[in-house]
Amino acid sequence: MVNKQADIDLLFRNGLKDFEVLPPAEVWDHIRPAIRKKQQPVILLRSAALIAVLFSLGFLAYQMSRLSEPAQNPFLSFDQGPIRPRALPSDPVLEKLMPASDRQTSPAMQDQISLPEPEAELNNEEYISQPGPDIFTEISNLNFRSNIITPSGIRSVRITDYSKVNSASGIGDLNSPAIDEIKGKTDRWSLTAMASPTYYMRPDLASSDMADQVSSPEQSRISYSGGLSFSYKISKKLSIQSGLYYSSIGNKVDDIRSYAGFSRFDYTKGDHNFEVMTTSGPIFTSNPDVFLADIGGDRVVTKYTNDVFDPGKANLSYINSSLFQNFSYLEMPVFVRYKLIDKSLDFNLVGGLSYNLLINNSVHAMIDGSKYDVGKTAGLNSFMVSSSFGMGMEYSLSEKISLNLEPTFRYYLNPFSNIQSSSARPYSFGVFSGLSYRF
Amino acid sequence: MPEIKNIIKGCLAGNRRDQELLYRRHAARLYAVCLQYSGNDDEARDILQEGFIKIFENLSHYKHEGSFEGWMHRIVVNTALEKYRSKHNLYRVDDIDLIPEQDAAPETEDYAGLEAVDLLDIIRELPPKYRMVFNLFAIEGYSHKEIGEMVNISEGTSKSNLSRARIILQKKVSLYTGLKKNVLNG
Repeated sequence: MVNKQADIDLLFRNGLKDFEVLPPAEVWDHIRPAIRKKQQPVILLRSAALIAVLFSLGFLAYQMSRLSEPAQNPFLSFDQGPIRPRALPSDPVLEKLMPASDRQTSPAMQDQISLPEPEAELNNEEYISQPGPDIFTEISNLNFRSNIITPSGIRSVRITDYSKVNSASGIGDLNSPAIDEIKGKTDRWSLTAMASPTYYMRPDLASSDMADQVSSPEQSRISYSGGLSFSYKISKKLSIQSGLYYSSIGNKVDDIRSYAGFSRFDYTKGDHNFEVMTTSGPIFTSNPDVFLADIGGDRVVTKYTNDVFDPGKANLSYINSSLFQNFSYLEMPVFVRYKLIDKSLDFNLVGGLSYNLLINNSVHAMIDGSKYDVGKTAGLNSFMVSSSFGMGMEYSLSEKISLNLEPTFRYYLNPFSNIQSSSARPYSFGVFSGLSYRF
Repeated sequence: MPEIKNIIKGCLAGNRRDQELLYRRHAARLYAVCLQYSGNDDEARDILQEGFIKIFENLSHYKHEGSFEGWMHRIVVNTALEKYRSKHNLYRVDDIDLIPEQDAAPETEDYAGLEAVDLLDIIRELPPKYRMVFNLFAIEGYSHKEIGEMVNISEGTSKSNLSRARIILQKKVSLYTGLKKNVLNG
């Protein structure tokens, strides 16, 4: 009898192997696929990251170009015409103070000093960059041409070394020493509130049938992160930052059917009835009323297999075919912030480590918009360290308050789970935005 | 003849000619699979059409590991399975008792003269539940446990359906073989 059965199976298997039948011609006309690209969320994310970087670089270039333009001083007039060699007007006192070779003004000085002789101009190429006396201080002390040179304007710029003057552009670094001293002395601390939608990704697990089966029906959910941080300005460009953030991340595990009403059939002892293999670690059910079944794989491990228990016959209530894993972390970042550009729109490079403490681990299914508790993910690391790198933009809304935008990439230095098969280290991308207050 | 890799690349780029080329190369074999899983031609056409749409939409997931034909075959079988799942409550297996187990196939097996088209006709005459279980077990090689999960029946039901399917098939094969012999002998 067994042979007969095998015979009939073989007859059909071999007989139909490679058999072909031409389909009706009109079938092709109805095939209009919408081609789906692989890992579309990642591509979107990359595009978003690229846009953020381009946006940052665009502003950076804009700021740089503004820096290279001639500075306008509201106190002093500036000769915009062609610059030709010119001697300072003969002044007996000045002649005594300066050697003859130094008696040519730098372009920077020209920006500061407007002289009545329109024909007297300076050759930019012939600018002398020798260290010299503190000219402006001495000039102000001399109080010559007080009707032209504004004393307050002179006092605000203190150039003691001509070599600092940019001979190519013809202007000095007007942001340096004195201005910054006046600007930066006060606000060393700042308090920042920031939040970001975050997209988590995880590298592929080792290639195996089980890994494929586990990872293919899983999707990272868009998560959120936000909190408060303090930063302290160590120097003009460098500051350190720390604070407390809350971040919530999660996965959607598809093709796992969940049913309610199982508790009346559950006569076994044990801490959980079902295990579901996921890339973050196994889900252990804690709700005795839930029944789980994998639609097309072997991800559900249970004593209640299909041949023992049929949820359809038992009349269990079907809930959903997806499970949601949620992980919440309390996060303490320790970042270093380096200011690339210090203007009304600042640009910063931000990098450092974050220490993450797991404070919530739950798994639920959704039924009519409300959560149905399933259990939790086992084997998660309760403490994680992540490294971050970002590029921040800070726009001053007022003297004390500024608006922040920080595209940030994060890589976890230890895996989510301490279970060997789930040891992938995730990475994430988020665009933090918020307000900061300086004090 | 363009290589399959180039055709796939073209399909992914949305090139309609490459899509048609892929279809023309494999449609006949896959349509035979669709007929094998369906009781009528309209359903087979629908399965082929939906199957090919899925093939094109999921081409980017094909990793160029293993047989491309096998990958497409699995998609078509899964499409047939989905179709079956969506309809299986409408089907009734009411002819089980018409074929008592003791009336099974004759002791001597002589299947000479049976062609693929005859076998296809025979398998398509099976009730849908039996046809699905027989196809998944005997042709695709799934276990009863897997079939139970795929079709949402118990392992025991799967075994029982297979047994019934075999009985019907053996009976019909004998009938076809006898008819053919009679025709040949004049």
